[in-house]
Amino acid sequence: MNKNNTQINSFSLSNDKVSATILLVPALIFCTIFIFIPAIGTIVGSFYSYSLTSMNNWKWVGFGNYVKATQDEYFWVALKNNFIIVFASIVLQVGVGTILAAILDRGIKYGRVIFRTIIFTPMVISSVAVSLIWLIIYDPNVGILNAIVKSIGLSTPSKGWLGDPNISIWMIMITAAWQNTGFMMVLILAGLQGVSKEVYDAAEIDGATGVKAFWYITLPMIRNVLIVAILITTIGAFKVFEFIFVFTQGGPSNATQVLGTYIYLQAFNLLHMGYANALSVILLIIALFLGWLQLKSSRKA
Amino acid sequence: MNFLKFITKKIYLFIFSFFLSFGFITTSYAIDITIWDLSGRNGQDEFYDNLNKEYKKINPDVNIILQTFENEAYKTQIQVALNGNDGPDVFFNWFGEDSARLARAGLALDITPYANVEGGYGNYISEGLSNTTAVNGKIYGVPNTSVSKYFHYDPAFFEANSLAVPKTFDDLLNLCRDIRAIDSSIVPWPLGNSERWKLNHVITMLNQRVVGEENTAADYNLSASEDELFTNPAYVEAWQKVVDLQDAGCFQDAPNATHPDLTRSMFASQISPMIYCGTWCGGIFNGEGFSDFSYFRFPEVVGGAGAATVGFLVPSGMMVSAKTAHPEIAAHVASFMVSDDMALQAAELMGFMPSNPTKIGEMSNPTHWFNFYVNDIADKTGHVNVLDVLLEANVSNAYLDMGTEILNRTKTPQEAMDFIRQVALEAKAAM
Repeated sequence: MNKNNTQINSFSLSNDKVSATILLVPALIFCTIFIFIPAIGTIVGSFYSYSLTSMNNWKWVGFGNYVKATQDEYFWVALKNNFIIVFASIVLQVGVGTILAAILDRGIKYGRVIFRTIIFTPMVISSVAVSLIWLIIYDPNVGILNAIVKSIGLSTPSKGWLGDPNISIWMIMITAAWQNTGFMMVLILAGLQGVSKEVYDAAEIDGATGVKAFWYITLPMIRNVLIVAILITTIGAFKVFEFIFVFTQGGPSNATQVLGTYIYLQAFNLLHMGYANALSVILLIIALFLGWLQLKSSRKA
Repeated sequence: MNFLKFITKKIYLFIFSFFLSFGFITTSYAIDITIWDLSGRNGQDEFYDNLNKEYKKINPDVNIILQTFENEAYKTQIQVALNGNDGPDVFFNWFGEDSARLARAGLALDITPYANVEGGYGNYISEGLSNTTAVNGKIYGVPNTSVSKYFHYDPAFFEANSLAVPKTFDDLLNLCRDIRAIDSSIVPWPLGNSERWKLNHVITMLNQRVVGEENTAADYNLSASEDELFTNPAYVEAWQKVVDLQDAGCFQDAPNATHPDLTRSMFASQISPMIYCGTWCGGIFNGEGFSDFSYFRFPEVVGGAGAATVGFLVPSGMMVSAKTAHPEIAAHVASFMVSDDMALQAAELMGFMPSNPTKIGEMSNPTHWFNFYVNDIADKTGHVNVLDVLLEANVSNAYLDMGTEILNRTKTPQEAMDFIRQVALEAKAAM
């Protein structure tokens, strides 16, 4: 009997393996076609010099494109901007999102759903549409922002909100925060709602209320959710493209260039497809590292 | 059983009708010719509907299918599409370095053999115009229109304030100052450079006026020696003229953050009394309710090497994909677009300055701006192509970037030219 059972078990186990393999095949095929092959193609292409209009004329350059990247002033500007966006997004989106979530969770008694919906709404609008709306707001001639700033007696930037290389990246950040903070708020709110009320009751007995309770109870309890939120924001910040492309196309004077727009510029405008591939590989390595971090922390969470 | 019989009959009927319809599909012989064009042209849909109908009269088996794209997206998508297997048969392009690059890469079809066949483009447009699409003596496109640029101004404002149309560049500077003196809040010449090409068109003309087209030619096509490439000090002087314009108060604050559409609206709503705008602008101003405008050419730069009778002209039209399955028909369709009747329709419906002017006299109620553009283009002694179409991609991008830097005063004219020369040297070395 035992022998038969073992046979049945091993048979069903091998059946399960077959079923699992069959179920995985479609996903593997799609991943291979749309992710693995293009990724390998990009890595291979990064060792060549070619353009979209000279696809039959690939010239081997070895690591030349990577060396070029290290010497390219605008690559470093783009990378620096990506890190600025990461930092600003964490502060604005996760930071403000956490505060809003805390207010909605414990700070107000009525209208939570309404406020939550209002704050979340920008998230469901396409980034391109959001950018176009904010382009009008930032316009130096007819934009409402200029009118507001002037009405309170302040001066507006003479080169425009998006025309001044020193502030344009920050204006784009504000728009990105306006759109994405709601999502972070909902994510963190879900984490907050998982914190037991009894913990707060116990803390209250020990004298921890309000900001103290938020600092010593809430934040440690939602630590893992915050880590996930930070990683999602970081990866989003490295993938950013639409906002920059619609607002400034990387200008003025490459001041708002990020890796995504710089890769596009090199590939499609300047026709350096091999170099664009090398930049994409660098971005891929950064994204893989961040993805690995996210996976690791999600499992912990 | 009856039910089974019923079902079986239905299945037979289905199979029969399926094969019958398949038979119809395979026996009917239709050729689809896909055309890619820019979107947003007035009268475009009507023109292409008519094109399809008219072409069917001479070739009933051909369907012309139009697909349109927004300007900036088109520049990228056409390159990708031509490399793939699902691209257009006929496609729009500006004739300059962009079109030449496609020809050199073998992505555009050499249509020289189709020039003088029956209905070929050689029957409709001049050889000189065809040659604007030539690469190594072969023709790669059929120009169907050209765009030029003029100052458009509000004559009522000029008259009310006793302002004169400027003849020289210095007059233009003084005009800006005079307008600011009338009311400092009036922007004499709104400049929307957020997409970088607006100032590029201005510097195209300033280079021509100051440096002269004979002196720019070797630099523009990168054939000048390394020691000489973009070293002519007149290039710096041309950039300095942009600074002078800004100092004279011609432009509004923040031109790099202003969209070109907005500046057109500023002129059309008579907030600003003049604008440097293309031959496509007359229809836009009219559409926004302002048609009592007039025009003047880009003024002469006294002491400059370029003649004031030379103008800005970018020929554009159709090219044929090298991968089209029907090269002969595709070339014929592109040619048919410039046939006498279709050229007339393009002018009437889309406001094109037609490359084939045979029937231009038959236009019903041509607008005053159309008449001006057509006559003035014909009167000019020469033309210059715009830098962002003409120059090698990297040099073109450098010129676009430096325009932004000059307006922001983050680079001096000399620094701008040093940067452009460096990029040009690298581009030349990579050739």
